[in-house]
Parts: sequence; C-alpha cells; structure tokens
Amino acid sequence: MWKDVLADVIQETFAGFRQELGAIGPRLLAMAVILVAGFVVAGAVRLLLRFALRRLGFDRLAERAGLALGLRKVGFAGHPSGALAAATAFFVLAFFVLLALGALDLQLARELVSQAFTYLPQVLVAAALLVLGAVVAGFVRRGVLIAAVNAGLPSARLLAGFAQSALLILFGAMALEHLGVGRQIILISFTVLFGGVVLALSLAFGLAGRDLARELLERLARKGEPPREDPLRHL
Amino acid sequence: MSPPLEPRVEERLRQIGEADVLVGIPSFNNARTIGHVVKAAAAGLAKYFPDQRGVIVNSDGGSTDGTQELVASVEAAAPAAILVRHPLSVVQKIVTPYHGVPGKGSAFRTIFAIARRLGVKACAVVDSDLRSITPGWIELLLGPVLHEDFDYVAPLYLRHKYDGTITNSIVYPLTRALYGREVRQPIGGDFGFSGRLAAHYLERPVWDSDVARFGIDIWMTTTALADGFRVCEAFLGAKIHDAKDPGADLAAMFVQVVSSVFDLMHVYRERWEPVTGASKVPLFGFPHGVGLEPVAVDVERMQRIFGQATRDLREVWEVALLPEDLEAVTALAGAAPFRFPDPLWVRVVYGFAAAYEHKRLPREQLLRSLVPLYLGRTASFVLETATSGAEEVEQRIATLAEEYVAQKPHLRQRWRDL
Repeated sequence: MWKDVLADVIQETFAGFRQELGAIGPRLLAMAVILVAGFVVAGAVRLLLRFALRRLGFDRLAERAGLALGLRKVGFAGHPSGALAAATAFFVLAFFVLLALGALDLQLARELVSQAFTYLPQVLVAAALLVLGAVVAGFVRRGVLIAAVNAGLPSARLLAGFAQSALLILFGAMALEHLGVGRQIILISFTVLFGGVVLALSLAFGLAGRDLARELLERLARKGEPPREDPLRHL
Repeated sequence: MSPPLEPRVEERLRQIGEADVLVGIPSFNNARTIGHVVKAAAAGLAKYFPDQRGVIVNSDGGSTDGTQELVASVEAAAPAAILVRHPLSVVQKIVTPYHGVPGKGSAFRTIFAIARRLGVKACAVVDSDLRSITPGWIELLLGPVLHEDFDYVAPLYLRHKYDGTITNSIVYPLTRALYGREVRQPIGGDFGFSGRLAAHYLERPVWDSDVARFGIDIWMTTTALADGFRVCEAFLGAKIHDAKDPGADLAAMFVQVVSSVFDLMHVYRERWEPVTGASKVPLFGFPHGVGLEPVAVDVERMQRIFGQATRDLREVWEVALLPEDLEAVTALAGAAPFRFPDPLWVRVVYGFAAAYEHKRLPREQLLRSLVPLYLGRTASFVLETATSGAEEVEQRIATLAEEYVAQKPHLRQRWRDL
C-alpha cells in the first residue's frame, strides 16, 4: 500500500518537474544562448574598438589629456584604448546578462531588467562625469605642477595633488549626486571633507611652510612696487 | 590680402602717390621714446637717401599716452647739421591705427600694405622704444636692399655675453640648422626688406594667427629664409631700448618665442628636412667688440628650479625625451661641476620639437615644462663662461650651433617616429 503511495508521489514529482522543465527549459536554453552570444559580441566589440581607437590615435589623445597617466597611477599598465575597449565590452556583456535574465520571465528578473534599463542613462551620465573629472583633474594637476616648479615652489607636488584631488572629489560627488545615492550624506561628506582638506592645507602651509608663506605674502605686497629687473635678457 | 585702412589714410596715400623707401614704426604707448625714433628715421632718410622719396609710417595699436599726436607733431625735416646734401623731396609721414588682432604683427601688416600701395622698393621697420637708434641704422637696413638687391636685412647688435639666452641656446642655432643660413639674431626686432618681400608677407595667410599677436620677428626671418629670398645681416651696434616689463613671466615669454619657432617647423617641414649644413650670410656694417661689465645672474636659483624639475617633472618630460636622455638629464642635478652638455641639450630641444609637432601634450604645458631645462642649460652656460671674453663666448655659441647641425638626422628621426 505505502509502496503505491510512494510511487504515485514520485511519479507526480517527476511529472511536475517535467512540466516545470518543459515550461522553463526553453527559457534556460534561451538564457544560455543569450549569454554565449553576449560573450562573443562583447569580445568582438572589445577587439574592434581597441583596433579602431588605436587607429584613431586615442592613446595619444588620452596621453595629452592626462588620462593615461591617471590609469597608470591606478595600476593599469596597458594602453588607454585597451581600457576603454574593456570597459565598453563590460557594459555590452552586462546588457546581455540583463537580457538573459529577462529571458527567464521571472517576476524578479523582469523587475531587475526594468529597473536596470531605467537606471542606465543615469549610470552612463555618472560614468561620463567620472571620466571627464579624471581628464580635467589630470590636466589641472599637470598645469599646477609645472607652474609651481617654474615658480620655484618646493611643495609643487603637494599643490598639484591637492588641485587634482579637489577636482576628483568634486566630480565624484557630482556623479554620486546624479545617481541619487544618499544625496544628503554625500553633500555633508563633501562639505566636511573639502573643508577639512582646506583647513589642513592652510595649517600645513602656515606652520610647516612659514617661510614660503612669508615669501609669497611679501611678493604680493611688492606687486604694487616697480618690478625688479631680471639681470638676464632672455631674448 | 590687405587690411582695411582708414579713409584719411587712404586720402593721404592718394596725396603721396608713390614712394621709394619707407620706414615703419609700430607703437603702443611709446610717447616717451618715439619722438627720437621718428627724428632718427627722418634724418637717416634725408642724409643717406636724399634722391629717394621717403615715407615714415607709424602704425599704432591705440595708444592712450599721445603717441600718435607726438608722431604727427615731430618735425620730420632733418637737421641741417648732419646733412651734406639737401634732400630732393620732403620725408612724408603717415600716422595710422592698425586693425585686426592686437599685436606687433598686425601693426607690421598695415606697414606692409602701405608699402605695397606706395610701390616702395625698400622698407625698414624699427621699434618705437629704441634709445640707441641713429640715422646710420636707416642706411644699414635700407642700403643692402636698395643698392645690393637683397630682400631681407637682419640686424646684428652689440650684446653682452649673457644677453639673449633664448636666442643663443635655441632660436639662433635651431634656425641655422633648419634652414641652413646663419642669421645670428633672427628675432632682433629691427629689419630691412624689399618691396617684393613685403608683398609676399602680405599674401601669407597668417594674419589671424599668433603671428599677428607675437612671433612676427621670427616669422619674417624664417619666411625670408625658407622661401628663398636673398638675406643678409647689418651690424647696428648696441641696442638700447626701454626695458620690456621686467616682471613679465619668463615662462610666458619663453612659450611665445619657442612656439613660434616650432609652429614654423610644421609649416616649412618640406623646406628644412633636406637641408644639411649651414652657411654665413653677407654682413654689412662695421662690427666691433663689447665691454663685459659683470652681470649678477642668480645661477643658484636656476639650478634649484632645474633640480626640483628633475624630481617633479619626469612624468611630463618622458613624453618628449628618450629614456636615456631623461636619465642623463636627471643625473645632471647635483653634479659638480654643473654642466649641461651640448649634445644632450640639442637632443632635448629636438625631442620637445617633435613632441610639440605630434601634440603629445597640450602645447603650452609642454613648452612650460621645457623652461626648467632651459634654466639648467643657461645656468651651465653662465658657469662655464664666467671668465670668458666676448669672442670665446661667441665661439662657444658657434660650437653649440654646429651640434644642432650635426644632430639634424636625430631630429628627422624623432619627427617621424614619435
């Protein structure tokens, strides 16, 4: 008796599993196909983009804009074109993963895909802000560094680093603000951090660089006076 | 294409009709000195070119200190004391504002246009802040054009051994190596040129570029050399003029001068690439020596900036310098005695020229990063020649110029490969 019940239960279980499998199987297969296609397309995009960017001289442009230096500083030793191609391929793959999840037609997957597509423009704008910030900060850093060295300021690197950091923080905060991540927290953090850095630098400049501060103030005070002639005529 | 001229200037040109020789004086707030320059020019025209119809043109950039009024009121008739012959015609004067981009180049453009309109055979341009100009300068600048059929007369001044360090270490030797002619002071500021060269200048499409603002001097010299005009030099003696703003930023001035030279390298690539060697150009005038009063140069400051740059600017320099040159430059800091060898300096300049051409960095930043290297090179030069006389120093500069010529294949290669 109990054997028949057991057999029925098992049969029903298998039947249910077959039914479920029959319903979800094609979706799983579709998901797998989409994922494989995603890997192939992302790989192709990476290769083609890297090739095209190199031909278009993107690496040189990135070098000029300071992006290459920034990438080297964060440990990326390859070409900037490779970094951009890899990042684009990652986005393409992420897009296919979302499609693959959508193929499952699950409530959770549907919501995830819908939210992701709604959020995508903000992510892209935030990413663009970060890239722009990195470029602008790199440019300003180099300009400040060169000007400070030419002025004979011993703390040239410190000044340049401060200028770059301030801009990176500013653009990072703008990107996070755009993503809507904890707006109040970001605003307060940015204010505290920025104010703190300025205060710390002021103290450092006033205490450690007392002589330099005096020299700079004296130079400012002398601005109204007739300039002292450079004994060398360079032209 | 000619710039627009004011109706009263057009009317004046119609009155004058034609002229043979012209002296142009660009100005901007030079009331203190321009009177002397106009008098010297008028006396020079009357004394040395009494048979020629002479015109003086003041091309002014909107002075507010009465420069234009002063020029108009200066008696152009030459003092009889210096004349042995009376001129056949009175020297005419034209005072005109120039139009276009503010700068010496635009002032020159108006002078070229008036020269063409009057059909002059020879022109000279002289700075309006000169204190040492004499009537003899006018003869030396116009004579070779009028009597010897030269197209361009570059000035050769009497200078202290530490004067013109950018000229001596970059502009002169580089121009010589590029175009194969030895013009010792290519950015002197006072020049003579033929009417046909003035017309040629006028037709060049540069009047909305930096040439109109700054860099007109090297542009005129380079254009004359590269476009195959007959070039010579005239020894003018000492050049004493109002100090340019001594507080002016060295880096800004350096960028203006060097960018002008590098920009012209782009324009005239096909001309300079095949040139090998260099030859002298004819010299007019009577060169003589110069006293060597001591000049207090702050060599320590130059070395300090150079030393700091070897630590802080490596990341910038590596886009222009070969790795071995970067290492060699870095090794110079702190070395005793401090010497910046000629071959290394030439490779540095050539490396930066190629990086500038290929826009490896924003150009202004690239050239500003060259300033500490220039200061290092200048400090080395001052230390090396501290006890040298004028002739020794001139020989030293000639040796550097030869090095530029010898390493020209290196420039060609960097230009192609970078």
